[in-house]
Amino acid sequence: MNIVDGTNLERNLYLSTQLAELGIPMVMAINMMDIVSSRGDSIDCRALSKKIGIPVMEISAVKGTGVREAIAAVKNQVGHSAPRMQNLFSGNLSAALSSLEEMISSVPAVNGQNRRWYAIKLFERDEKVLAQLQLSDALSKEIEQQIDAVEQAADDDSESIVTSARYDYITSLLQGVYKKKSQGKTTISDKIDRVVTNRFAALPIFVVVMAVVYWVSMGPLGTFLTDWTNDTLFAGWIQGGLGDWLTGMNIADWLVGLLVDGIVGGVGAVLGFVPQMIVLFIFLAILEDIGYMARVAFIMDRIFRHFGLSGKSFIPMLIGSGCGVPGVMASRTIEQDRDRKMTIMTTCFVPCGAKMPIIGLFAGALFGNSGLVAVSAYFIGVAAIIISGIILKKTRAFAGEPAPFVMELPAYHLPRFGNVLRVTWERAWSFIKRAGTVILLSSIILWFLQGFGFADGKFGMVPDNNSSLLAAIGSGIDWLFAPLGFGTWQAAVATFTGLIAKENVVSTFAVLYNYVGELSENGEEIWATLAASGDFTQLSAYSFMIFNLLCAPCFAAMGAIRREMNNAKWTAAAIGYMCAFAYISSLIIYQLVGLVIGEVTFGVGTVLALAALVLLVYMLLRRGYQPKNENRLRSVEAAAK
Amino acid sequence: MPLVFADRGTTVTIKKIGGKPDVKQFLEKLGFIVGSDVTVISTGGGNLIVQVRGSRVALNRDIAGKIMV
Repeated sequence: MNIVDGTNLERNLYLSTQLAELGIPMVMAINMMDIVSSRGDSIDCRALSKKIGIPVMEISAVKGTGVREAIAAVKNQVGHSAPRMQNLFSGNLSAALSSLEEMISSVPAVNGQNRRWYAIKLFERDEKVLAQLQLSDALSKEIEQQIDAVEQAADDDSESIVTSARYDYITSLLQGVYKKKSQGKTTISDKIDRVVTNRFAALPIFVVVMAVVYWVSMGPLGTFLTDWTNDTLFAGWIQGGLGDWLTGMNIADWLVGLLVDGIVGGVGAVLGFVPQMIVLFIFLAILEDIGYMARVAFIMDRIFRHFGLSGKSFIPMLIGSGCGVPGVMASRTIEQDRDRKMTIMTTCFVPCGAKMPIIGLFAGALFGNSGLVAVSAYFIGVAAIIISGIILKKTRAFAGEPAPFVMELPAYHLPRFGNVLRVTWERAWSFIKRAGTVILLSSIILWFLQGFGFADGKFGMVPDNNSSLLAAIGSGIDWLFAPLGFGTWQAAVATFTGLIAKENVVSTFAVLYNYVGELSENGEEIWATLAASGDFTQLSAYSFMIFNLLCAPCFAAMGAIRREMNNAKWTAAAIGYMCAFAYISSLIIYQLVGLVIGEVTFGVGTVLALAALVLLVYMLLRRGYQPKNENRLRSVEAAAK
Repeated sequence: MPLVFADRGTTVTIKKIGGKPDVKQFLEKLGFIVGSDVTVISTGGGNLIVQVRGSRVALNRDIAGKIMV
């Protein structure tokens, strides 16, 4: 069954003509007939059916009309012949295709059913088919002569000739079949498009829409939901209840500790974000479903193009502000390889929901809970994307411009409940899933590492985590972060646990600064301890924050990057780039700002920072790699969906 | 003239499609073939939204400059 969008008939029939060539029996179901008739248009299915020689049914999947009849038609059609679109190609094109069919009839892979298809693909000089068939030189030469003759006559290339023929055929098919009442009249979609993509109003409208979305999901409603989940559901009911129950069962203290604080605490902290994230994802899914997101990509393309990204990169970034995992996955819709890879490498710079607590912790502990810290985090994220875009587009691997922006826009329609829920759930699930896997495991390991160690010459539970295994590991790597201003083992460990999941950073600090008890999302309870510890100044705290915002994302997001890149080298390059970029940014800010305000004395670190700054500026300003007349536009099928 | 200069709301007929072969074929598959009518729905900074063969397509100015109408 070939389901065709009745509101976009010509283009869908174009794809149908290609489908018909596969030689498989077909029933055509024209969907969205309710919208077609509400526009006052009409499609004469019987006449169309007669012209192409297969059953053509009217259906409306939303209203469920005609579906049963269509399925019955499919059953009837089993074993029948494929559609005969014999008038599809005419004149010398038709003759050439017929002789091509004859020429290849003895090739092993070709049979009666698929011969037509192979002939057309050969005529179009399809590289994959050519490689598959491995034709002899003599045969290839003969075929080439046929193609050349047609091309000469039409003064066009073979692929264009075929495409034009298909559209000409469709025009003839629709004559007397498709009656348009709305000819020349502007539809509602036209009117909306005139406003929301208006040259001056487009950006303000977009900003307002997004502000509302974020205000609702991150503001009152989101905060309420998060607080309820964290404080009432997890801390109160589950953690409290479980603790009491286990203690009542006379279970050893360490096991209670592992279960209640280690596992439930760790996993619960992650799941606490879910409600807020779901609200955000519902909004984004609605915007996508009604067709606005496609317009946003179009609007943003004008801006993104300046730093080497396509407008289509914007949607992954919006989703990435909720969670990087679905954000990275959303890059799949970008059909061009270069643009997609670049998007994957930059999407995780957007502060995701799980990075907000880190910001909250330091804003509260050292910056008097100033809202500016969070705002600056978003600016840093955006700046990182822009700078990376410019740097990357000058490298050899990313040379050239983003693919010219061509995108089919769906007509506006009301959001479909099922669609919105499905998309929201898929994205939220990719986030929740890791709570049960990676984070569960890491909570157990972390709990063990910080609770056990060598004290008084023997291994066991340690009362003070300064002598724990975790402290030992942290002290081993903390020198790495000394030039960034946070070379304490606690900060090193927190950065490390941040790789497992960014929200771990706050709970790690709580554990490491010996806070016992329930911790709120932004670690309010340890603000004073953290400030008093003297381990962080405002500057080093900010440097820590930047590093953790920009460096390699959490395990789950790294996994998503690996899946989307589908290539170990590129995955390593993406993660390595993010870490290097984070390190350099923190280094420059800590050392150079520190030098100015007198916190840092001139030394090796400062020299390194200056060198890094020079390198960064050079990477930004150098004349990029110049490709030799490359051509980068690819597959249309994905774009045309 | 290139499609970029077409006014909003007007319908024009494609006369020629330029550009490199793959750009051209890309456009043709979307329905931009010689003789197709194109209606300009919206313009902004050279970027266009047009209606062609029943579907709505967004184009940036580089591409729109390759389509002669």
